[in-house]
Amino acid sequence: MNGKGDQAWCGSCGIRIARRRGRLFVSNTRHEEEHETNAAKLACDIDLHDGFGSNSFRPAASFVHSARALVAWRDAQRAIWYKGVLRGFAETMAPETPGTVAARRDVLCIETAAAGSGEWRYLDLRALQASSSCLHLSLPGDRLVQLRFATDSPRRWEEMLRALVRDAYRRAGQGAVLEFQPRIEAVGPSPPGRS
Amino acid sequence: MIGSPNPRAEEAPPASAWYPFLRWVAKALAATLVRLEVQGLGNVPGSGPFFLIANHQSVLDPILVQGACARPVHSFTKSSQFSSGRFVQWLLLRVNAIPVRRYRVDPQAVRTALRVLARDGAVGIYPEGERSWDGTLQPLRRGTVRLILKAGVPVVPCGVDGSFGAWPRWSRRPCRVRVRVRFGRPLRFNRHETRAEREAALDSALAQISTVLARLSGQDVPAPDSRSSGAARRR
Repeated sequence: MNGKGDQAWCGSCGIRIARRRGRLFVSNTRHEEEHETNAAKLACDIDLHDGFGSNSFRPAASFVHSARALVAWRDAQRAIWYKGVLRGFAETMAPETPGTVAARRDVLCIETAAAGSGEWRYLDLRALQASSSCLHLSLPGDRLVQLRFATDSPRRWEEMLRALVRDAYRRAGQGAVLEFQPRIEAVGPSPPGRS
Repeated sequence: MIGSPNPRAEEAPPASAWYPFLRWVAKALAATLVRLEVQGLGNVPGSGPFFLIANHQSVLDPILVQGACARPVHSFTKSSQFSSGRFVQWLLLRVNAIPVRRYRVDPQAVRTALRVLARDGAVGIYPEGERSWDGTLQPLRRGTVRLILKAGVPVVPCGVDGSFGAWPRWSRRPCRVRVRVRFGRPLRFNRHETRAEREAALDSALAQISTVLARLSGQDVPAPDSRSSGAARRR
C-alpha cells in the first residue's frame, strides 16, 4: 500500500481508502465502487490478514520480520516541579540513531551504529506500548528504548510483538498475558523455579 | 532526583491560577474544532474528591473533557509529553497535568493523585492508557482500577463519542464533526485498604467501569486480552 495524507491505495489491486468528513471510504478504482467503512473493521481485517491480532497466531520457528527504525534510548530521568512541589518524573531520550529491528520467534534484535545493540527474549520484556508514532519497550535493567519506524507502522509492530510475547508466555507455560503496560502482567500457572 | 530532600515534595500539587483562563481557551477551541454536545454535567460533584474516567479516542479528548467539566481536573498525562518542548511543559503544568511514566509502574504519579484527592480535588484518568487506533474502547488498565479501589472516592465516568472521527491518531488534520461528551452518574466503590482486598475486587470493578464507559461512548464492552481466572502475576 502507498499512502499520503489521509489516503492509502494499492497499485496492484486498485483499492483506495480515504478519510473524508470524519468518515472512511473504501473504493475500487477499477470497478468504480465505493462504500463507507470504519477503522475498527479495517483494523480487524488487517489483523486477520497478518494473523498478529488473533489469539490463534502461532509463529513458525523460522519467523522473522524486520524493519529500519530510528532508535533512541532513555538517558536520564528528571523531576517535574511546579511552584516548588514535586509533580512527577519524565524521561529524556538520547538522540535517535538509525538502526534495524528484527523480530524473530524467540528474540527481539536491535542493531544500531551507536551503543545499545543487543537481543532480548520476549519473556524478558517488561512493558510494551505505542506512544504517538513510536513504540516504547521496557527492557531488563530499567532500560527504555524508543523505536520510530521509517517505513512501517508502530501499530503493526505493537500487535506483532504482543502476539510474539503471548506466544512466548504460552510456550514457556507462564499463562496468558493480561496486559502489556505499565508492565507485562500474566495470569496462569507459574513456571518452574518462579513463584 | 528521586528522594529529593525538598520538604515540599510531599505536598499536594498547588492550584494553577491559569486554569480558568486555559479552560476558557479549551472551550473556545472545542467549539471551533468540533460540533460539541455535552450531557450530564449535573453528575459532576460540586465539591469533594472524585475521579473523572474517560475513554480516549483522540488528542482532542482532554480539551473537550476538561473544557466541559466545571471543576478543575488534574489529569494523568504521559511523561514523554513533558519532553516535547518548554512551552508544552509550561502549558501542561498550568492545566494541572500529572506526568505518568507508562512504561513502568509509577508510584510518584499515584502519590500525586492521592494528594490531590486528599485536598478534595479531582483526578482525571484515561484508563485505556493510550489513544485508540480504531475508535473502539480498549481494555482498561488494571492499575487504574487498583488506584480507584485504593482511594475509595466517587468515580465520574465520561464517554466521548465522535472525537475519533474528528481527529484519529493516524491523521494529521482535524475534521469538524459532531462529538458528544456524556458525564455519567458517579460510581461508588468502597475503599480497599489492603492489596489482597483490592485484588479480590479488581475484576468486578474493572467490568463495571468498562460497561459504563462503553455505554456512555456508544460502544461495545472490550474483550480483555485474556480472561482472569485467579490472581494475576506480575513481572
